[in-house]
Amino acid sequence: MADREGGVARVADVRMSRFERLPWRRIILLILSIGLITLTIIGSVATLSKPPGEGGYSGATWAGFVVDGISQGAIYALIAIGYTLVYGILRMINFAHGEVMMTGAFAGFFFAAAYAESGFLNRHPITAMLIVTLAALIVSMIVAVLLERIAYRPLRNAPRLVPLITAIGASLFIQNAFRGFFGPQARGFPRPDILIGNVELFGLEIPKVRILVVVVGLVCMVLLQGFVARTRTGRSMRAVAQDREIASLMGIDVNRVIMITFAVGGILAGIAAVLFATTFEQVRFDMGFKVGIAAFTAAVLGGIGSIGGAVLGGFLLGLLQAIGPALILSGFGIPSPFALKDAFTFLVLVLVLVYRPGGLLGTGEQEKV
Amino acid sequence: MNRVVKAGLAGGAVTIFLGLVGLIERFADLSLVGEQVTFSRLILVVAPFIVGYAVGRPRVEHGERRSITAREALLWGAVAGAVAGALVGVAAVAVDAFGVERVRAVFIQVTQGLIDFVTLGLEPPIVGAIGLTAISAVAGVLGGAMHVVPDRIRKPIVSAIATILALGFLQRVVPVAMAEIDLETDWLYTSAGLTWFGAAVIGGIAAGVSILKTWKGDVIRDAIRGTTTGSQIGVEGSAPRGGTSVLRTVILGGAAVGLFVLPLVVGSVVSERLGTVMVFILLGLGLNIVVGYAGLLDLGYVAFFAFGAYATGILTGGMLNSFEGITPPVIHADLSFYVALPIVVLLAAFVGMLIGAPVLRLRGDYLALVTLGLGEMVSVLVASPWLTPLVGGPAGMRDISDAAIGGISFRDPKNFYFLALAFVILALFVSRRLYRSRIGRAWTAMREDEQTADAMGISTTSYKLLAFAMGGAIGSIGGALFAVKIGSITPASFQVFVSLQVLGIVILGGLGSLPGVVVGALVLVGLPGILREFEEYSFLAYGAALVIVMLLRPQGLVPNVRRTRELQEEERAQDAWAAEKEQEAAVEGVST
Repeated sequence: MADREGGVARVADVRMSRFERLPWRRIILLILSIGLITLTIIGSVATLSKPPGEGGYSGATWAGFVVDGISQGAIYALIAIGYTLVYGILRMINFAHGEVMMTGAFAGFFFAAAYAESGFLNRHPITAMLIVTLAALIVSMIVAVLLERIAYRPLRNAPRLVPLITAIGASLFIQNAFRGFFGPQARGFPRPDILIGNVELFGLEIPKVRILVVVVGLVCMVLLQGFVARTRTGRSMRAVAQDREIASLMGIDVNRVIMITFAVGGILAGIAAVLFATTFEQVRFDMGFKVGIAAFTAAVLGGIGSIGGAVLGGFLLGLLQAIGPALILSGFGIPSPFALKDAFTFLVLVLVLVYRPGGLLGTGEQEKV
Repeated sequence: MNRVVKAGLAGGAVTIFLGLVGLIERFADLSLVGEQVTFSRLILVVAPFIVGYAVGRPRVEHGERRSITAREALLWGAVAGAVAGALVGVAAVAVDAFGVERVRAVFIQVTQGLIDFVTLGLEPPIVGAIGLTAISAVAGVLGGAMHVVPDRIRKPIVSAIATILALGFLQRVVPVAMAEIDLETDWLYTSAGLTWFGAAVIGGIAAGVSILKTWKGDVIRDAIRGTTTGSQIGVEGSAPRGGTSVLRTVILGGAAVGLFVLPLVVGSVVSERLGTVMVFILLGLGLNIVVGYAGLLDLGYVAFFAFGAYATGILTGGMLNSFEGITPPVIHADLSFYVALPIVVLLAAFVGMLIGAPVLRLRGDYLALVTLGLGEMVSVLVASPWLTPLVGGPAGMRDISDAAIGGISFRDPKNFYFLALAFVILALFVSRRLYRSRIGRAWTAMREDEQTADAMGISTTSYKLLAFAMGGAIGSIGGALFAVKIGSITPASFQVFVSLQVLGIVILGGLGSLPGVVVGALVLVGLPGILREFEEYSFLAYGAALVIVMLLRPQGLVPNVRRTRELQEEERAQDAWAAEKEQEAAVEGVST
C-alpha cells in the first residue's frame, strides 16, 4: 500500500515538474543538439564531396588519419586508466595526472638523451628503451604516490571541491617546478633508428612508432586487466572502490590500496609518457596539461570508473581527434582545421557530460552527476 | 624524536627544491639590509627557522594537549634545524663530488655559484656544509625560542624584524614614493636594500610601537574611544563596540585616502602594476560570486575576461593587423567606451547564462571540468584562423578606445588606476548587496545543500543562472578595462591559466570574502610585480598557494565569517569521526 502511494506521488511529481517548470534547459539542449547534428552532417558531406587536393582528402590520407588516431588513442587510454582508477576509488578527479605523465617523460628523456649521445640507444635499442621506460615509470609512480600522500590524503574527508582545488594547485606547481628545474624550452626526445621509417601493413605505409605504441599500449591494458581481475591486491582495489568503509571492516588496508592505485596509475602514465615522447619526439614542461585533459575526456567518454570504458574512450577520442576536425570542419572551408583539435576535444567532453554523463559504458549508477 | 628529524628533512628538502628551481641563485644579488643580508641568505635560514618553530608547537597527542617545556622546544628546534641544514649541506657536497657540470646537464639551475653559496664559500665544501648545519641549528633554536621567550620580549622583536623585512621587500616602491614627496631617502635605502642605519631606526620604531601597544594599549584604546573610564563594568557590553567603530572608521578612512593617494606617489611602474591588480580584483569579485557565493567551481572564467576585452575592442573601433594592412574587423562599431560597456556587460551576462544553461545539472567537479573545457575553447578560438577576420587571430586587435573623458586618457597608468578603482568599488558594492540580499541567502542555501534548497522552494536553476550571469558581467568589466589599459590585445593574454590565477586569488583570500579577493589579488598579482625577480616564479607560487591554503587554512587569509563557521563545523565533524575511528581501533586492539 505504502509502495503504491509512493508510486502515485512520484508520477504526480513528474507531471507537476513537467507542467510547472519551464523546460528552458530542454529547449536549449534540443536546439543545440539539432544544430550540432545538422552541422556535422553538412560538414561531413561537404568534405567528402570535395575532390582530393581541393580541400578534400584521398583514401590514403583518411587511412593515415585512422592509424594516427588509433595510436594516439592507445596513449590516451593508458593515461585515462589512471584517472578512472582514482575516480573509482576516491570519487575525485586527479587533475594533476597529466603532470604525472610529464614527469615520467622528463625522466625518460634524460636517460634517452644520455644513451643517444653514447650510442647505446642504437646499439641495443630494446634494452635502452626498456631502461628509459623503467626510469619514466618509476619517476611517474613516485610523483603520483607523493601527490596522494601530500596533497590528497589529508583532505580525504574534506568537502568535495577542496581536493579538486588542491589538485589544480598541484598541477600548476609540478608544471612550474619542472619548468624551473629543466627550463622552459622543448627538448628533442631521441628516437632509436629502428623505430624510424614505415612498414607496410594491409597495403598501407604505417610508421613503425605508431605500431609500437599500439602494441605496447594493448599489452599494458591486458596486464592491468589481469592485475585488477585476478590478483589479491586487485580484488582489494575493487572492494575499496565499491565501499571504502566496509572494505576497511573486512580487513583491507584502505590507505595502502589507495596508494597502490595511485602507483598503478603513475606506472601507466610513465609508460604512456615514453610512448608519447617517442611519437612526437619532444618533451616540454607543459606537455601534460592538454594530454591530461584529453585523457580525462576519454575516461568520461567511456564512462568514468570503468577500466574498459577508459580504453574504449581513449581509442574513440583518438579517432575523433584525428578524423573529426578534417571531416567536419574542412567542409565549411575553415582553414587548418587541426588548429581547432583541442577545441574539438573539449566540445566532445562538454557534449558527453551534458547528454550522457555516465559515459558510453556508464555503470548506470543513479548518482546525480 | 623521529618526528623532529622528519620535520628537519622536510625543511631541508624545501630548501633544496628552492635551489633546484633557481630561486636561491636568482636572488643572490638582491640585498635586503646592507650588502650582507641578501634574499638568498634569508631563504637559506628560513626553512630551518620554520621547522624549528613547527616542532616546538604544543600539539595533541593521544587525544591530550601536550605542551612543551622550554628545554624541549629549544633542543628540538636545534635538532630539526640542524637536520634541515645538514641535508642541504650533504646535497651540496654530493653535487660537488659528482661534478657540478654533470648535474647541471639535468638540473639547469645547479651552478658552481649555487654550490659555493650553499657551502658558505668555504673550502673544502664539507667544511661549508658543517658551517651551514651549525647556522641552521641556530635558526632552528631561534624558531623554537618563539615558544619560550615571554610575549613582552618576543613581540617587539618580531614586529621589528617583520617591519624591516617588509620595507626591504618594498625596496623598489618605498624609495620612489619617498622621492616623489621630496623626502630624503639616502639614509634609509641604498641602491639595493635598506642601509644598516635605516634598518636599525625602523626596527627601533616598530619595536617601540609594539612595546607601547603592550604596555599602554588599553589607555590608547580608551583615548580613541573617547570614554573617560572605558572599563565601567555596567556598560562594558556597549562601550567597546562604539570604540571599535570609531577605530574602524579611522582605519577605513585612512585606507580610503591611501587608495587615492597611492598612484600619485608610487612610480609609474608600480601604478601600472596596481592597474593590473585592479583588473584582477574585478575578475576575482566576479568569480567570487560564482564560486564563493553559489558554490559552482568555474574554471573557464577566462572566457568572460576574453569576451569583455574583445567585445570592447570590436565595439570601440579596434583594428586588426592583417595581410592587407590594418583593417577593421568584419563586425565593428565606433562607440564611446561608456556606451559600449553596458552593451558588453549585458552580452556577457547573456553569454554566462548561455554557458550555464547546459551545464547546470552537472555536479561540482564535472562542472569544473566542463567549464575548463569551455574556457580553453575560447582561448583556442580567439587564436584560430577561423575567427581571424573578427578578432585578429594570433596577431590580435589594436587601437582599442582609451575611454578618454575630455582629453584625459585612461591609458596612462595613473589615470587608469582611478577608472579601475571606480569599477572595483562598484563591484564590491554590488557583491556586498547581493550577498546580504535574499538572492545571496538563496545562493548560500544552494551551495550548502542543493536538494534541501530546492525543497525549500528556491529555484536552483534560476539562481545558478543568475550567478553565472552576474559573474560573467563583472568578469567582462575586468576584460573591458584590461582592453582599455593596454590598447591592443592578443590571445596570449587569454590563456586558460588566467582562470586558475583568478581562482588562486579567490581561494587565497578566502572563498566568499570580499576583502579576501582584494588581499589575494594584491599578494598574487601585486607582489610578483614589485619584485621583478619573482615574476617567473609566480605560477609556482599560485600552485603552492592553492595547495597550502587548502591544506592549512581552507577559509583563506581574510575569511568570510559565515563560511568559516561552516568549515569549522566540518572540521569538528571530522574530528568527531576521527575520534570515533580511534576508539574503534582501541576496541579492536583490546579484543585481539
